[in-house]
Amino acid sequence: MSLTVELPTSADDAVGLLADGGLVMAGGTVVMPLLNTSAHDVATLVSLRGAGLSGIKMAGAVAELGAATTLAQVGRDERLALLGPVIESIGSPPLRNLATVAGNLFVPSGDLAVALLALDADVEVAGPGGRERMSVAAVLGGGLAPGCVVTGVRFTVPAAGEFVYTKAMRRRMNSGSIVTVAAVLGYTDGVVTSARVALGGAWSRPRRSAAAEAELIGAPLSRERAERAGAAAASAADPPTDAYASAWYRRRVLPIHVRRALIGE
Amino acid sequence: MASRVIELMVNAEPRELLAPPGTTLLAALREGLGLTAAKRGCAQGTCGTCTVVLDGVPVFACLIAVETIQGASVDTLEGVSGPDGELDEVQAAFLEGFATQCGFCTSGMIMVAEALLAENPDPSHEDIVRAISGNVCRCTGYALIIAAIRAAAARRAAAAAVA
Repeated sequence: MSLTVELPTSADDAVGLLADGGLVMAGGTVVMPLLNTSAHDVATLVSLRGAGLSGIKMAGAVAELGAATTLAQVGRDERLALLGPVIESIGSPPLRNLATVAGNLFVPSGDLAVALLALDADVEVAGPGGRERMSVAAVLGGGLAPGCVVTGVRFTVPAAGEFVYTKAMRRRMNSGSIVTVAAVLGYTDGVVTSARVALGGAWSRPRRSAAAEAELIGAPLSRERAERAGAAAASAADPPTDAYASAWYRRRVLPIHVRRALIGE
Repeated sequence: MASRVIELMVNAEPRELLAPPGTTLLAALREGLGLTAAKRGCAQGTCGTCTVVLDGVPVFACLIAVETIQGASVDTLEGVSGPDGELDEVQAAFLEGFATQCGFCTSGMIMVAEALLAENPDPSHEDIVRAISGNVCRCTGYALIIAAIRAAAARRAAAAAVA
C-alpha cells in the first residue's frame, strides 16, 4: 500500500490532517517496528516530531510535559528527579532519545503510564471539537476518540518521599515489565489518608488497584499493611501472559513487588 | 504520496537524497547514500546495530522516518575515522582489545561509545553498561567491548594531557 507521511507543524494542524484518518506517530518506537516488520494497512502517518509539542514547563509544583517530549528529556530534568528511576527503567538510552511521554500511554505496558496514574496526571487532548482534559486513567482505559491527539500531560509533583516506584524486569536494564508498581501516599499525623497505587502487569493495561489502596488508608504504613495491600492487589488482578512472564508468575510475584515499592524491602 | 527530497548533514557534510514516504533513516543511509556501516538487525529498536548519532544523541536509525528529521545532523561510523582513514581512539581500542568478533554489532557499539565519551569523557563501568544496554552483541563479547570503551576514554585523556 502506498504510504503518506504528514508533517504537521502544530497540534491543530495534526488534528486537521487526522480528520481524514491516519495513524499518529510521535517518537516512532511503536509505529516504525509495525511498518518495518509487518504486512500493515497503514495509509497515512501523522508525525508529531515537528508539531511543537516537546518541552517541560513547571508552574510551582505543577509539571506540564509536552506530548512529544522524549523520555530522555524527562530523565535529564532535575525538576522531575522523582521520575528518574522510572525513565531509567524503560528501554535503553538510544530508545529513550526517541520514545515520548504521550507514546508511553499507548504501548501495552507503559511504565511511565503507571507512574502517571499514581501521580493522578491529566492528559490534554486536541480533537475536532477543541481541547479537553481527560484523566490518564480514562486515556489508558478507553483510548482517544477518533481524530484526537494528546498534546501534553500535567501533574502535581508530590512532596519528597511520597512517590515510590519499582519495576520487576527480566534483566537489570532494558527489559519489558514483569510487574511495575508506582504509588503516591499522603499522610496526616503519620496515618495514611490517601493512597494511589498503580500497577503495570497486573492487568493487560496499567490500572490503579482500589483493593490495595483500601488496605493502606487509615493506618500508619507498616510491613503488615504493605503485605495486605500486596495480597489484595494480587487477588484483584487479572495478569496477562506475554514473552516476559506468565499470568501465573505475575500474580505470584506481584505482592512482593507491591510491598517492596511501599516499604523498600 | 510523492517522494521527498531530504537534506541532512551527514558526517558534517551536506547531503541530499530522494526518499519515498516512510523511508527509514537507516535505509536512507544505506541505500540512498551508500553508507552501509549501520546495519539492519531487528528493525524494531531492540538490537542496536543500526545506532547512529542524531543531533548529538545516539538513536536507532530503523525507528526514524527520514522525512521527519529534515535538516538534521547525522553521524555514522563512516565519519569517525580521520581524513586519511586513521582510526580514532574508540576504533583503535576496539581493534587492539579484540572487542570485535563477528562485527555485526560493532558499528552500533562504536557510535554509542562515541556519544557516551562526548558527553562523559571518564565513564565508569556502570556508565558504559548503561550506554550499551540497548546494543546486543550476539557473540556475547561484552566484557571486551566494555574494556575497549574504557581504554578509549583513557587514550583520549592521555592525548588531551599531551595536547
